Amino acid sequence: MKNPRKPERETKTGVRPAGWQILFIALFLAYMLLPIVSTYVFSVATRWDRTILPEGYTIEFYIRAFQTSYFISTLRNSLILSVATILVSLIVIVPTVYWVHTRLTGFKPFLDLLMILPFGIPTVVLALALVQIYNVPPLARSPILLIGAVVVYSMPFMYRPVSNALQAIDALTLTEAGQSLGANVFQVLSKIIIPNILPGILSGSLLVFSTVFAEYTLTSLIVGARFKTFPLLLVEYTRINGNIAAAFSVVSFTIAWLVSILILWVGSKGENAPAETIQAR
Amino acid sequence: MAYLDLKNVNKSFSGVVAVHDFNLEIDKGSLVSFLGPSGCGKTTTLRMIAGFGHLDQGTIELDGADITAVPPNQRDIGMVFQAYALFPNMTVRGNVAFGLLMKKMPKREIDQRVDNVLEMVRLQDAAKRFPHQLSGGQQQRIALARALAVQPRVLLLDEPLSALDAEVRVVLRGEIRRIQSELAITTVYVTHDQEEALSISDKVVVMNKGVIEQIGIPEEIYRAPKTHFVATFIGTANQFLGKVSGIDTVICNHFNLLVDDMKGFNDGHRVVVLVRPEIIHVEPDQPQHDGWNIIPGEVETITFHGAVTRLGVNLHGQRVAADITVANTKPISLNQKIWLLFPPDACQVMDVDEG
Repeated sequence: MKNPRKPERETKTGVRPAGWQILFIALFLAYMLLPIVSTYVFSVATRWDRTILPEGYTIEFYIRAFQTSYFISTLRNSLILSVATILVSLIVIVPTVYWVHTRLTGFKPFLDLLMILPFGIPTVVLALALVQIYNVPPLARSPILLIGAVVVYSMPFMYRPVSNALQAIDALTLTEAGQSLGANVFQVLSKIIIPNILPGILSGSLLVFSTVFAEYTLTSLIVGARFKTFPLLLVEYTRINGNIAAAFSVVSFTIAWLVSILILWVGSKGENAPAETIQAR
Repeated sequence: MAYLDLKNVNKSFSGVVAVHDFNLEIDKGSLVSFLGPSGCGKTTTLRMIAGFGHLDQGTIELDGADITAVPPNQRDIGMVFQAYALFPNMTVRGNVAFGLLMKKMPKREIDQRVDNVLEMVRLQDAAKRFPHQLSGGQQQRIALARALAVQPRVLLLDEPLSALDAEVRVVLRGEIRRIQSELAITTVYVTHDQEEALSISDKVVVMNKGVIEQIGIPEEIYRAPKTHFVATFIGTANQFLGKVSGIDTVICNHFNLLVDDMKGFNDGHRVVVLVRPEIIHVEPDQPQHDGWNIIPGEVETITFHGAVTRLGVNLHGQRVAADITVANTKPISLNQKIWLLFPPDACQVMDVDEG
């Protein structure tokens, strides 16, 4: 069988990259990858302060990391926080952006502007303000308040991809086509709009997941030890044992990558489905 | 009684009038086109029939029932969009079946119906394809099939051929007319293409600036335009300014024109006389034809259009277009002195102030 992807692997212009181009790419990769590689190596190094490469290797720090009493509970809390944030974001963002793209188009520039605000407020200020305002039970310092805060903080990451996806499909005409065929607004959303903006929803979810899974400031200031998440445990261990902290970081990276791969895989499956169906038939 | 009845429909967008006092009765099973330049209100009116956009004033009745306030998904009115608007996530079959699924029709009936309409648009082999795998013309056929599958009470087409190649346009408009006649489905067709409107419609509604200029069968619209706008928008028309003299003469600067119908204009009234290029005969030698308009001129341009050749003739400083065919005219060359002749009933008299 022919491999349809093969032509794409050749350089588009057919020109070999120059030496200085390779240098820039190498610098970029070193800048991005060196800290990660170092963390991986440090998590399995016995002693690494007198030599260029570690003096020996061990998996001891991983065993100690997995044996930490909070290991499982903090991972679970981080997953709960990430998934809950994604769900709340989707429920709030998708219908809102849809209405703005179809019926309230004049509102779109305002929403675009609003979605920059979370970047404009220092996280510490946001956290302290929320703690003061919602200082009433059952909200005060609760995981619910944390989810609310993290939804606001990560909202731009969901908004952008969803908004771009809606822009690309001419949502208004598709909506009207659906309505003229007898579909109500929920049927239009569930059967036409959402399936067609799924790639945007998935990439938004991915961005939100990786942001929230590694979130420290809001969690630390709003709930602290009451709802300990994985980043809190990690920061705690940077003061106790650097090698174990490195092992935790590796676990964190790995989970983030696994989730990314999973989401991208689900997304690409959705996109490729049409072509595959046809080939199969 | 009319099947689809628009009464006194008015619509404006932030103070700008889009549709003004629109009254139209459409018979069951007929194809009516809304024809006009962009911004004339034709699409706005169509969208109001579909239920997209509220009326500021007036009512829309369908089969005797007021549907003005009925939401679009309950009107049972099908629509075909300029941009096809096929659902990209569904196959052709999925698209065509969508409306039937919304009606909760049993699966076997849906399959049967989908096969029928796909056969009608001659695309039964494309059922398993996705919209992006089809050409523009094929996509629009599927959009038509999708709208027809639910057997709507009215079919609306919003510039359905504007995005297609000239050749596909001509074929597909014939197909639309064929299917529309076969099903006898009441259809409203919006277009800015006069040839399209004239060739497929039972009735044409010419619109300009939100107002109906004229409603009539295609021949009427072309041969007996009621307003200056209709006369100049549909086809090409030569215009001669002049003053009414008596019951059958208009005095222009350098010649007089005999007209058949003065339409009640009085002596001395300033009018414009419109004459279509294809009705003008061209003779190299001075002709004898009592009772006709015979005016000498000089050929300034010759443009070959295929079926006809258009001459630009200088009549005392005014450029006049006259169409000739190879079959019925002697050879004409540039700068040749010729005579134009046309009968009085070829002259349409209009008020100067109109338009």
